[in-house]
Amino acid sequence: MSITAHKDPKMPAPVELPDGPEWVNSLTVFDAHVAETLVVAARTLYPHEILPDTVYRRTIFQFDKMAHMAQTAAQSFAEFVDLLDSAMPLTFRELSESYRLTALRGIEGTTAFRLVQRSTVRFLYDDVEVWQAFGYEGASVQLGGYVNRGFNDLDWLPEPPAGI
Amino acid sequence: MAKYELDDSGVVVIIGSGAGGGTLAHELTKRGVEVVLLEAGKHLTADDFVNDEWGGYEMLSWLDKRTSSGNWRVAKDFPVNPSWACQVVGGTTTHWSGCCYRFIEDEMRALSVYGEIAGASLIDWPITLAEIEPYYDLAEAKMGVTRTNGLPGLPANNNFKVMYAGAKALGLNVSTGRHAINSEPYDGRPATTQDGFTITGDKVGSRWSTLNVELPRALATGKLDLRPQSRAVFIEHDDAGKASGVVYVDAAGVRHRQKARAVVLAGNCVESSRLLLHSASGRYSNGFANGHGNVGRYYLRHLIQTVWSVFDKPVYMHRGEIMGGMIDDFVRHDPSRGYAGGYYIEMNSMGLPTTAAFMDPGWWGRDFASVIEQYANMAGIFMSGEDMPQAGNRVTLTDELDAYGVPVANIHYDDHPNDTIMRIEGYKTLVAIHKAAGAKRSVEAPAYPASHNLGSNRMSAKAEDGVLDGNGRAHEVSNLFIADGSSFATGGACNPTLTIVALAIRQADFMAKQMAAGEL
Repeated sequence: MSITAHKDPKMPAPVELPDGPEWVNSLTVFDAHVAETLVVAARTLYPHEILPDTVYRRTIFQFDKMAHMAQTAAQSFAEFVDLLDSAMPLTFRELSESYRLTALRGIEGTTAFRLVQRSTVRFLYDDVEVWQAFGYEGASVQLGGYVNRGFNDLDWLPEPPAGI
Repeated sequence: MAKYELDDSGVVVIIGSGAGGGTLAHELTKRGVEVVLLEAGKHLTADDFVNDEWGGYEMLSWLDKRTSSGNWRVAKDFPVNPSWACQVVGGTTTHWSGCCYRFIEDEMRALSVYGEIAGASLIDWPITLAEIEPYYDLAEAKMGVTRTNGLPGLPANNNFKVMYAGAKALGLNVSTGRHAINSEPYDGRPATTQDGFTITGDKVGSRWSTLNVELPRALATGKLDLRPQSRAVFIEHDDAGKASGVVYVDAAGVRHRQKARAVVLAGNCVESSRLLLHSASGRYSNGFANGHGNVGRYYLRHLIQTVWSVFDKPVYMHRGEIMGGMIDDFVRHDPSRGYAGGYYIEMNSMGLPTTAAFMDPGWWGRDFASVIEQYANMAGIFMSGEDMPQAGNRVTLTDELDAYGVPVANIHYDDHPNDTIMRIEGYKTLVAIHKAAGAKRSVEAPAYPASHNLGSNRMSAKAEDGVLDGNGRAHEVSNLFIADGSSFATGGACNPTLTIVALAIRQADFMAKQMAAGEL
């Protein structure tokens, strides 16, 4: 069964980022190392093999906007990257997955970690490409809701009696 | 719309336009009373609303900072937004999911029925169920509650089919429940289109709210002066100690003083308690109407939690009304279960963004990813149970001032052992229902920011036990009222809106009669 995910037409359109490493030129606060480290961190926190890097980059694009709007957020993101880079003899980006996990667990109690972890959830799972991948259809009112589009189409359990 | 002068002391000033304040505004103006309604939020319309979880959250929620303390998990997960209500014309009725259940007799007499419980401060309500019942009838009729007044229930959706299969296998009494959401056109509002976004404002308007029902009708009486973006910051009193006016700040940041014949707070628990505590004076040194120190105390938030389960096949729980399922086997007080009070089981659905955010805040890694990836195959089931009133669970003021110069509120909440036992038993039941329907994995999600905020200015027969009498009037100030859930003497188990509306209609009757008799 295939579905199509929709963002509400009144919400801002998804950000379009270049495919190559030049995507970081779309950022206003983060340099390439900070940005790429955050992408790797977001993917390590929420590893979905089926998602392309683009969606993680769009999440980091939102972080950059947060950093642009609030100095405290900018400091926390920078601190997060510093903490991860100083956790092991190699930078975080150079680590293998198990060492990345160890580095992240080591800073779990920090404000910076909390900001990155919560903000990743906030933006990654709000991405329409992720909705499409995981089967969430999003906005429906512009299509007349689901009343004629499958709100009760589950057919692998017994049908409840009418008027239940 | 009526326009009253700031020095018109004949008006009733209501603070807050949600279930309590919005309903009371309509019921008073219908009876010829002149009302000024102050609402902190903007006047949005269905056109402004979006089908988007975070977009709706940011548009409607009261996002001003609060702080939290105590051993409740919310203090760890949501330290500066422990409570969830709306700041918009229509208040939290722009957000609610429409569940409409009545208190039962046991709950109205919690102390008598449950007995003294160590660490808890139970009381009986100062009014009986029989006294509220006629108003429940009126509330259900105005709200168009399904399975009342000849209205059919909401149809079963996919998530309900899962709940139904599990509940039937366990022999539980399950239905789609009762909601102030039209299953067929009623009172000028259309039937639901099952768009799944009732909580972001309801663009279709099939669900009752004060925004789409009470306020337009109140405005049509010509007696209502509705002032959006008007933030109440202080309640004043006269030499006799009676409420005399409300200081508020408008959208331009200008301060005004609206005189009043009577003042009604309906700003949801935290704001109503905060405003009373802040409105201290020489005469009321602990805060307005707070001679017994009970303002802000006995804060309740219901034992709310969700179980999300993964199945082998698609559910698409986001399709359709989000809480259209109810099981009432655990509502009655039954000491043999090992705890006092009871709980409702209800269906719950969320979209991917908030399922991910609320499933277990702080959870990360491959395990989380493997669960959330199966969103299409997930179903949700929820409980709302009665929590114990405790003197230490309370809204207080901190030293930090907000942008209006009013102290930021702190909410302290410690779980009572009775609460913990009910949570554990509830999780076991919710998981069992989904397992019986074939769940391969169930996740016990913790409470999210409290949306059933109750009890912090409670009604009581004796002044020393609470803040208000049985009409929602302050024991200490004869023209000061509260019309929100903070008036509840105890929390009961059910979603509170229907009761808030019923109490507001009853309060309007009382106030109008008092006015006619020259006593208010």
